[in-house]
Amino acid sequence: MAAAAVAIVSGAPFRERADSGGQYWIKQSLDLDHSLVERCLSGDEAAWEDLLRTHTRRVYGLCYRFTGKDGEAQDLTQEVFLRVYRTLKSFRAAEGAFTTWLARLTRNLLIDNYRRTRQERLTDSIEEQLPRIEESVSAASRPESMVAGREASEILQAGLQKLSPELREAVILRDLQDMEYREIADILRIPEGTVKSRLNRGRAELARVLRRQKVLV
Amino acid sequence: MTCAEFEILICDYVDGTLGPDARTTVEQHLSGCRNCAELARDGAAAVGFMERAVEVEPPPELMTRLLFHAPWANAKTAATGVRNWFRKVLHPVLQPRFAMGMAMTILSFAMLARFVTPSRQLRAADLAPAQVWASLEDRVYRGWQRTVKFYESLKVVYQIQSKLHDWQQQQEEDSKPAADTEKSGHTPDTHRLPVKGTEPRP
Repeated sequence: MAAAAVAIVSGAPFRERADSGGQYWIKQSLDLDHSLVERCLSGDEAAWEDLLRTHTRRVYGLCYRFTGKDGEAQDLTQEVFLRVYRTLKSFRAAEGAFTTWLARLTRNLLIDNYRRTRQERLTDSIEEQLPRIEESVSAASRPESMVAGREASEILQAGLQKLSPELREAVILRDLQDMEYREIADILRIPEGTVKSRLNRGRAELARVLRRQKVLV
Repeated sequence: MTCAEFEILICDYVDGTLGPDARTTVEQHLSGCRNCAELARDGAAAVGFMERAVEVEPPPELMTRLLFHAPWANAKTAATGVRNWFRKVLHPVLQPRFAMGMAMTILSFAMLARFVTPSRQLRAADLAPAQVWASLEDRVYRGWQRTVKFYESLKVVYQIQSKLHDWQQQQEEDSKPAADTEKSGHTPDTHRLPVKGTEPRP
C-alpha cells in the first residue's frame, strides 16, 4: 500500500522553481514597486493608476478566492486600495516587498470581513447553498483530467469555501498566488513550519472535498 | 525523524523544493508510513487540480470603479494645488487654436516692425548682460519720461480748454441783459399762434 502511495506521489506535479532569470524578474518587479510607491507618495497622479493596474488582479484574485463572491470581492478590493491610499506612508521598503505588505493588508481586511459577516453566513440558509454545490458536482462528475479551465476554477472555488479560513488563506497564497513560504509566514505572522503544516492540511482537505465531488480520483 | 517533522518536508516535497538527499529521505519515509504517504498524495492531487484552474481576472467595471470613483481620482486635482492652478490658468492659452493665433500675431508684428524700424544687424556685443541691461534701462526711462510728458501736456490742454469755456460763458452772460431790453415791446412774437380776438387791433 505504501509502495503504491509512493508511486502516486512520485508522479506529483512539482512546482517549477525560480531560476536565475526568474530571480532577475523578481528583483525588477521589486524595484518597479518601490519606485511606484515613491512616486505615489510624492503626489504623482499617474503613479496611482499604474499601481492599481499592476496590483488589482492579485488583490481581486485573493479576495475572490477567499470570499467566493464577485460582488463582495470587488467591494473588498476597493476597500484594500482605499486603505493603501491612507496608509501608504507606513510602508517601509527596507522591511519587505510591497506585494507582501499589500497581501498582508488584504488578508487582514479579509479576516475582518470574515468575522463581521460570520453572523450573516450562519443565518444564510443551507438550502440556498445546496443546489449550487449539487449543480457543480453533477456538472463535474467526470474524470479528473477532463475538468480544467473555467469549470475547474468554479469547482475549486466551491471547494475552497469548505476549508477553514486559516487553511484557505495558506492554500490561496501559496498555490494560487505563487508566494514563497517566507513571504506567507511574513504575511500571516506565523513561523514557516506552521505555514507548511497548514498548507499540508489545507491541500489534503481540499483533495478530500474534490474527491467527494468526483473530480479527483 | 517523527511524522510531525516529516510533515514540513512533505510540503517541500510536493512543491519540489527539496534537494536530492532530502527527497530520497522523504521517499523512504513515505514508503513505510501510510498516513504521510496519503498526506503527500492528497497534497499533490490538490496542487495538480489547482494548476488546471484558470486564474481569476478582475471584471473591467472594477478597474473603472477603482480609477474614477476613489479618492486618488480627486487627489489628482487636490494633491498638486499650485501646479494645478497654473495648469487651469494656462489651459485655454495652451490650446492649439489659441497658440496658433498667438504665433501668427507675433509673426505679423515682427514682420511689421522689421519694415517700419531701420534694420540693424544684431551683434554678439549686443547680447552682453551689461549692454542688455543698459538698453532695457534706457527704454524704461524713455518710456517713463514719455508718459510723464504726455500727462503734463494733457493737464495744460485741459486747463486751457476750461479757461476758454469759462470765458465763453462769461461773454454769453454779459450779452444776455442787453438783448432782453431790446426785445421788450415792439418785436412781434413770431412763434405765437394766430388766435382770433387776441390780435392787437390797428
